[in-house]
Amino acid sequence: MSGDSAASVPGRYGTRAGRPVGRKTAGSRWGRFLEGGLLQGGVQGSPVLRLFMRWVRRPLLPVMRLWRRNIQLKVVVTTLLMSLGVVLLLGFVVIGQVRNGLLDAKVKASQSQATGGFAVAKQRADEAASGTGEDATSADGRSPQNVIEWMSNLVTSLSSGGQGAFDVVTLPTSDTGGDTGGRGPRASGRVDPTASVPENLRDRVDESTTAAQSYTRIVYYAGKESQPALVIGKQVNDPNRDPYQLYYLFPLTQEEKSLSLVKGTLATAGLFVVVLLGAIAWLVVRQVVTPVRMAAGIAERLSAGRLQERMKVTGEDDIARLGEAFNKMAQNLQLKIQQLEDLSRMQRRFVSDVSHELRTPLTTVRMAADVIHDARVDFDPVTARSAELLADQLDRFETLLADLLEISRFDAGAAALEAEPIDLREVVRRVVSGAEPLAERKGTQIRVVGDQQPIVAEVDARRVERVLRNLVVNAVEHGEGRDVVVKLAAAGGAVAVAVRDYGVGLKPGEATRVFSRFWRADPARARTTGGTGLGLSIALEDARLHGGWLQAWGEPGGGSQFRLTLPRTADEPLRGSPIPLEPKDSRRNRGLNDAGLTRGGGERAATVPAQATGDQMPSRDPIVPRPAAVAPTADPTALPGNGARVVPRPASGARRQDDPSAADEDAGRSEDSSRQEDSSRQGEASRGR
Amino acid sequence: MGADREGGARRRPVRAVAYAACGAVLLTGCASMPDSGDLRGVESTPRQDTQVRVFAMPPREGAQQSEIVQGFLEALTSDDPDYETARKYLTAEASRNWQPERSTTVLADGPSMRVDVAAGVDDSGDFSYTLTGAKVATVDAQGAYSPAEGNYAESLHLTRDKKSEQWRIDVPPRGVVVGRSDFQRNYMSVDKYYFASNTVAGTSPATAAVADPVYVRRSVDPMTHMVRSLVSGPTSWLRHVARSSFPTGTALKKDVSALTPDDQNRLTVPLNDKAARISAAKCNEMAAQLLFTLQNFSPAVDEVDLQAGGRQLCSLTEVGAEGVARRGSAEPAEYLYFVDSEHRLVRIAAATGDRAPDPVPGPLGEGNTDLQSVAVSRDEDMAAGVGIDGKALYVGSLASGGSLGDPVLRSVGKTAQERLSTPSWDAQGDLWVADRDPENPRLLVLEKGAGEPLEVKTPAGLDGRIKSVRVAADGVRIALVVEQDDKSALLIGRIEREGKAGGRPTVSVLALRSATPVLEEVSAMSWAGDSRLVVVGREQGGVQTIRYVQVDGSTPEAPAPAALTGVKEIAAAEDDRMPLVAYSEDGIVRLPAGTQWKKVVTDGTAPVYPG
Repeated sequence: MSGDSAASVPGRYGTRAGRPVGRKTAGSRWGRFLEGGLLQGGVQGSPVLRLFMRWVRRPLLPVMRLWRRNIQLKVVVTTLLMSLGVVLLLGFVVIGQVRNGLLDAKVKASQSQATGGFAVAKQRADEAASGTGEDATSADGRSPQNVIEWMSNLVTSLSSGGQGAFDVVTLPTSDTGGDTGGRGPRASGRVDPTASVPENLRDRVDESTTAAQSYTRIVYYAGKESQPALVIGKQVNDPNRDPYQLYYLFPLTQEEKSLSLVKGTLATAGLFVVVLLGAIAWLVVRQVVTPVRMAAGIAERLSAGRLQERMKVTGEDDIARLGEAFNKMAQNLQLKIQQLEDLSRMQRRFVSDVSHELRTPLTTVRMAADVIHDARVDFDPVTARSAELLADQLDRFETLLADLLEISRFDAGAAALEAEPIDLREVVRRVVSGAEPLAERKGTQIRVVGDQQPIVAEVDARRVERVLRNLVVNAVEHGEGRDVVVKLAAAGGAVAVAVRDYGVGLKPGEATRVFSRFWRADPARARTTGGTGLGLSIALEDARLHGGWLQAWGEPGGGSQFRLTLPRTADEPLRGSPIPLEPKDSRRNRGLNDAGLTRGGGERAATVPAQATGDQMPSRDPIVPRPAAVAPTADPTALPGNGARVVPRPASGARRQDDPSAADEDAGRSEDSSRQEDSSRQGEASRGR
Repeated sequence: MGADREGGARRRPVRAVAYAACGAVLLTGCASMPDSGDLRGVESTPRQDTQVRVFAMPPREGAQQSEIVQGFLEALTSDDPDYETARKYLTAEASRNWQPERSTTVLADGPSMRVDVAAGVDDSGDFSYTLTGAKVATVDAQGAYSPAEGNYAESLHLTRDKKSEQWRIDVPPRGVVVGRSDFQRNYMSVDKYYFASNTVAGTSPATAAVADPVYVRRSVDPMTHMVRSLVSGPTSWLRHVARSSFPTGTALKKDVSALTPDDQNRLTVPLNDKAARISAAKCNEMAAQLLFTLQNFSPAVDEVDLQAGGRQLCSLTEVGAEGVARRGSAEPAEYLYFVDSEHRLVRIAAATGDRAPDPVPGPLGEGNTDLQSVAVSRDEDMAAGVGIDGKALYVGSLASGGSLGDPVLRSVGKTAQERLSTPSWDAQGDLWVADRDPENPRLLVLEKGAGEPLEVKTPAGLDGRIKSVRVAADGVRIALVVEQDDKSALLIGRIEREGKAGGRPTVSVLALRSATPVLEEVSAMSWAGDSRLVVVGREQGGVQTIRYVQVDGSTPEAPAPAALTGVKEIAAAEDDRMPLVAYSEDGIVRLPAGTQWKKVVTDGTAPVYPG
């Protein structure tokens, strides 16, 4: 596995490092929102309201999800809504036009009819007045007696002109007085006169002698349904020169029927148009979306590793071109991946084979060297020193070979976990006592914290011991004589061991790179033990084999802390670590700041980008296999050493001559084809064993 | 996927063609007006009611005296069910005593009001008016119309209420006073039907139904009023000759307020207990009376369901009613008869436009005797003819063969105009004829068209000569044209027969009343309905017109027939589907419904329908 991916895994969880283990992890964002909402209910609204909202929204959630995920639905619904809007607008405009047109024609015709009627009424009043005038001269004074009958006859004759086309109503003027008498209203066609003529029109007709019109609703007696109408009224004089109000009521029944016909037609047509547009949009989008969906499905399967999947291509349209290009791309990808896989497999086998092959001659060389070494007292000092050097470098060579074999076992997926419940305190004690001699040399004191309680976990003791030894030795080596603290803790389903030193620490970005193979920290750093540069890589692989995490934290000048977190029982996923990755006594936590170093140093930033992938990723994309499963297939982008070497290589050529096994290392490392850097760097002090 | 799409592509053209075909079919169906289609019945739409209504207004606060009187008179022309508004113009005591339903006086131009100078002192708290006008007619409490003439003068007294200081009428006019046009607008004439009392149901000829026209207010639930009026019995003029099948004391049940037919045009009439124990035949007669009476009402009544004592008595449909009693208006005449240029009796089919007359079978059609006027019995078996000079009356059968015997009646008048009138057959087969001899004017009846002529007793007050005589189909009413001093009037009388055991019955015509008060001269007339006659006459100072008159003297609502000049004789069937036939300057013409006068034959005289 590459350093990047190796770092990304701890990085991902690193964000949660500060969270105490055992805290209930919130589910989805929605769940958190609800939780917050319910907790803060007193502030944001009553819980009952929120419950109600939830109750309302629950059935809508699938719909909303469908809306988010279905482009066809979106397009069809948008089309429907927009066409509905257009149809409604059009309908309103057209109905308004038709209504105005109908009304205009009706009003004109009605006005001429009513004007004629008023003229007739006036003429008849004049005729009657002249007729009675003669009588009046014979009798004494005026004779208002005939008005009752005259008025009824007038209404009869006026209304007989338009059966059903209009009705005639007379009303007394409101300011009747004197001898005009209580002339009652008259109406033809069973019209209720007082209810049908609006009050304001009556007032208007009272005030002026010109005709006035208004819209009203004719109310009928005898259960006939009321209907809208145009009413035109005027004040006319009767034979006695007393005014009365004459109204023509024109029912707008026909106009309303015409309008409702137009309305019905428009509604039907609009409905058809909307449905048709929706259907068209559905069909059209389906033609586009179906191949896109197919392509999406194929792409998902491709990304899940089924590289042989291809799109079915028919026709020659744009979709077909897309499919062809897609297929070509997939073909090329498959080819390249195949090639890279083959190459990678070959390289691994080569490393493995070379390591094996080197063993046999090495054993012989070893035996010979032992003989020479044993006999060095007999040699001259220069030869004796050479014999010692030979023995030393052979030791290193053997170690390197063993590490290479171990790494290739991991790469081949051949590493097996032999987990059994053990007390981690014993392992820690063994490791600490093993490192005591080195510590004494360095003047370092190793302290163990948190070993009051037994810390039992189901782990492979050998591998855990290897990891811890690696960490403790590294801490002593880089601790610059200061104390090294080993801290144990267990909580929830996890146990953790953190190794803290107070040495030079790690520069920003180095916290992820320390796990890269053959990565060296500052080459100028003093070395007392020769490391292979593979120690932390192997440790990381060991931790991962347990399903645990191995994470590094460090700050320049503030030391570093390496934390191993393991599940208490095998195959149990980790949700957090009992020990925070950043120790409490870090400079940042203490509020200290190095000059030129901003708070919240870069090493934190190194872990943060991994957070972007989020912890939901495995669940969200089930096709993506687990990293552990992919690891043997050697993802080309995940080759070891891909991470940039930030540490510049110092110009020290002398070290090379001191290193007799440099050539061998070079040979072993040449397996990594992607590695371009100078092989001499391999000889430099690595942050390993 | 690809396979699917190919399948879709194969199917798509087929589907498209199918859709296009459907669309084309629909379009061709919708794009043009249909020129053929299935048959469908037409729902009868109710006639547009263009009636003008007067809405009575209650008296204004502080109204003047004249305003009170005007308002009261106006309220009388409204269609308040019980003149509620009019009563508000009266004092409480006057309102209690005032009985508007007792009589209705129709004035020519409505009542005029004149202040009574004697009592017209303003501030004394009382005021008096006199209502004047020219009387046209009165309608009595039974609804019977009778023409009237003369001046109307009725005093009307107002008093100022002590407490409220409002003028109110304390002496209102008797009954209702309205103008003629208001009367025509608010009232309508409806025929009540009774049975002629000289016939018995079930005998042959069947019972004759007698129409009894009354006036009801048009817009105040006329159906219920008519049923009440029918149940309460015939008007007093007809009471002696008509009988009602409703037992005495029968009335609508007390809790019945309004009668309306249900949606199957069935009218349920609940009666009180007096009618509970009657026979089915009697009940059928009652139902027939109701059906005849309500035949022209809207909403229509097709079936009557009589109930009494909580159970159904009987149910009768219109068709069934025709079997119960005979109505003149329901019996179509088969032929139209007239005298042709050879003075023979000929006939043509009445209902068709046939213009080729055939001589009737039998002696009268043979031309051996020259005829001047004829009458054919209602069963069209017998015919009577008056000879060319009016001297002799012959009766013959319309069956072929046989010969005309001696004349059954002779007149000794000096001129043809002073001898026998046109005869008329009644429903029982008796022949009526008037002898116009100024020396001895007689009205004669020949039983079964034979035997010794029987002189009919006429009222003692009858002056003048009977010029012509027509008996109604029911046989109880007779129309006479009586001439006196150059004037002639149409009088309607009732026929009363008194059978003496063993001896000859006495027949008398009683209670003559004028049906044409406005006409100065009546030259021809004929029955044209159950209670309607068609009259050719002349008003004073006017020209000759043809018009319809009701038997009670009122003018029916139906429009007058189209004008025709020089009408000498006229004939109408009581069934109004038969065309009117007249003998005029142009010969015999007839007026089919909805058209103008059409000539039948040029050289014919004396057209008659049976009767």
